[in-house]
Amino acid sequence: MSMEQERKLKNGNLIECTNVCKAFETPEGEYQVVKDFNLETRENEFLVLFGPGQCGKTTIINMIAGFERVTGGSIKSQGKEISKPDPSRGVVFQSTALFPWMTTMGNVEYGLKMAGNKKAEREKRAQKYIDLVGLQGFEKAFPVKLSGGMKQRVGIARAYCNEPEVMLMDEPFGALDAQTRYLMQEELQRIWEAEKRTVIFVTNNIEEALYLADRILVLTNCPATVKKEYVIDLPRPRNLVSPEFLALRKEITGIMDSTL
Amino acid sequence: MIKKKNISDKTINVACACISIGAFLFLWYWGTAFTKLGMLIPGPVEVLETVTAGFFGKVGRHSILVHVGYSMIRVMIGFIVGSVFGIVLGLLMGWYRIAEAIFNPLFRIIRPIPPIAWIPISIIWFGLGENAKIFLIFLASFSNTTLNSMAGAKNVDREVVNAAKMLGANERQIFTTIVLPASVPSIFAGLQVAISSSWATVLAAEMVRSSEGLGWMIVAGMNNNDMLQILSGIVMIGVVGFILAIIMRKAEDILCRWNKSGN
Repeated sequence: MSMEQERKLKNGNLIECTNVCKAFETPEGEYQVVKDFNLETRENEFLVLFGPGQCGKTTIINMIAGFERVTGGSIKSQGKEISKPDPSRGVVFQSTALFPWMTTMGNVEYGLKMAGNKKAEREKRAQKYIDLVGLQGFEKAFPVKLSGGMKQRVGIARAYCNEPEVMLMDEPFGALDAQTRYLMQEELQRIWEAEKRTVIFVTNNIEEALYLADRILVLTNCPATVKKEYVIDLPRPRNLVSPEFLALRKEITGIMDSTL
Repeated sequence: MIKKKNISDKTINVACACISIGAFLFLWYWGTAFTKLGMLIPGPVEVLETVTAGFFGKVGRHSILVHVGYSMIRVMIGFIVGSVFGIVLGLLMGWYRIAEAIFNPLFRIIRPIPPIAWIPISIIWFGLGENAKIFLIFLASFSNTTLNSMAGAKNVDREVVNAAKMLGANERQIFTTIVLPASVPSIFAGLQVAISSSWATVLAAEMVRSSEGLGWMIVAGMNNNDMLQILSGIVMIGVVGFILAIIMRKAEDILCRWNKSGN
């Protein structure tokens, strides 16, 4: 490992994207979804990728997760090229992607079970995260019996239970109604404060981005690339109608409009 | 409030079933007792008497229950072996492209052949004993479960598979803990068809050649011109088929309870 890499690791630089490109082959030719995308995470920061509709944010998350391969550039996790999914990078999906035939407990302890942990041990650890996301009493419920917000709580607990170094969240609240969405944003903030992790969070909702982020990367529309970076140092929990919040909101929305 | 409504729905269903079955039995009884239909077919009371007598006495060499038992054992052996093969092959074909490339062409040629078309070959291969019948039932359940298991494995949600990978599952774990359980509803759809197809096949096989079983009962009835024996055989075939379907549905309810939003 080079000095340079060691220095970066000390800074908690877990994920490093360098000039990442992604293109899909279509009958009409090559379609560029991500172009020259750069990112470096800092330790335990809440990093938000904010961009319009279908601009390739999900593709970026999928590549960092290891579900898809880059077509140009490189993505490294702790200095190593990412080639496949790994328990060190937990993913929370917009669709929740829960295992519907497993109970809450079964979903949350799945990763530990696959790693060969003993039942008592994994249930104890899973219970900790079930409690953390506020699902006590629903351990034996199947996902079909849970509301949208509760399902996503299971999804968060499931990703957390493997104790990953990075959490990747792909519009986790995108499918929720507005009221539940606000509640879940508060909950996520509380969970993250309790169990600090490096989070890369994708959203197209500016309020959500400003409420949660330490740092926001504003992305351009297809092909996605970083247009501007904002460091948000407003005190938490944030007031959605404070003048600073509203000013930032106005500014970033303005940038977005000029992007479209 | 909602619960109350469900109960009354159920009551209505049961009442309607009783009315329609009762009306059918009454028409049957009335037709055979008071019209010339009585010359073609015995009435329900006589059939019921024959069935009851058959339970305690003998039809041919055995009581009706023993005949049912013979048919059931044949079905169960063939059905279980055929389904296990079908589920494994179907899931492999649905999940691994190479397995599909190798086996699917062959399977697609064999599948459309109805099991009873194999009767002559099965007799030449296995003789007139049990093995020929079990082989036919194996075929009947095998092709139906293969087809549905394959569809199930093909339709596994890719995002759910990604979730398992992200949590550290390896290839084998993904197959056993994700692909298999995700396919259970499809597998059961196949098993439902397979069990009724097996039941139909055992009767056909017994009608061709056997000395016991419900298929034998109705053919022997035909040979002796014994209308009551034929009809009691048919009644039992219906009853057993009905019970098998109920058992399958109950098993499905238990194994797929995660798939239902009710209760």
